[in-house]
Amino acid sequence: MFVAISAVENHIASAVDPHFGRCAWFCLLDSIQGTWEFIENPFQHDPGHAGCDAADFLADKGVFMVIAGRFGSMVVERFRELGIQMVIPEPGTYIQRIMQQLNQNER
Amino acid sequence: MRKLCRMARSIKNRRIQMAPGIGGFKPHGMQHRKGPDVFIGFEEYEALKLCDYEMLTQAEAAQMMQISRPTFTRIYEKVRQKIARAFVEGSAIYFTGGHVKMAGWYHCSRCQITFTPEMEAAPVCPFCSSSLVQKFS
Repeated sequence: MFVAISAVENHIASAVDPHFGRCAWFCLLDSIQGTWEFIENPFQHDPGHAGCDAADFLADKGVFMVIAGRFGSMVVERFRELGIQMVIPEPGTYIQRIMQQLNQNER
Repeated sequence: MRKLCRMARSIKNRRIQMAPGIGGFKPHGMQHRKGPDVFIGFEEYEALKLCDYEMLTQAEAAQMMQISRPTFTRIYEKVRQKIARAFVEGSAIYFTGGHVKMAGWYHCSRCQITFTPEMEAAPVCPFCSSSLVQKFS
C-alpha cells in the first residue's frame, strides 16, 4: 500500500507540489516497507483532466493516500469515488517532513 | 383590494469545496477616492474558482455545486460583475459567508494538515490518529 506525495523535484528535500494534477513528480512511499521512489508524472503536460488521469493512475498502483498542496474539484470527486484519502499540508512543507510525520504514527 | 404577500423561495445551500484562504483584496496606488466595499459570498468565490481558475464548464460547475445551471449562471455573472466594479471603482473586496455547505474537509491543528477523513462519522487525523480535529471552514 502506498502513499503518493506530489513533488516539485525528485528528492526528499523537495517541497510538496502546490498542485496535484500537474506536479512534475510523485514520491511513492511504501507504507509497510518504509521505502520510497520518485516517478515522473506522465500527465503533467496533458491539455486537460490531468488530475483525474493521475488519480486513476495512482489508484492502479495501490495508493490509499495522496498528499499535495491543492486538488482540483473534479479530482476531489474522483478520489472520493476511489476511496482515497487526500491530505493538504502547510505550503512549503518538505517531503522529508511528511515522511517524518507518517513514521511517527507508525510507532 | 387585499395585497397578496408571498415569501420568495428559500435559498438552497450551495456546495463548496473550501472557503477562500484569504479575507479579500485591497486596491493600491489610489489616485482618487475609493469606491464602496464589495462583498463576495463563498458561493460566488466558488463559482469563479470553478469556471475561471479550474476551467470547468458551467454545466460541470453547477453539478459540482449541486445547483441548477440557471442558478449557477446567475451566481457566476454576479461575481464577475462585482469584481469588474471593484476594479474600476477602486473598491476593497471582502469574502463573506453565504448560503453554503462545505464538502467534508477536516483540519488537525497539531499536524497542520487539512484532509478528507476515511469515515466522516468518526474523523481522525491520518498522521497522528487524533480525533481532536475540526471541520474545516
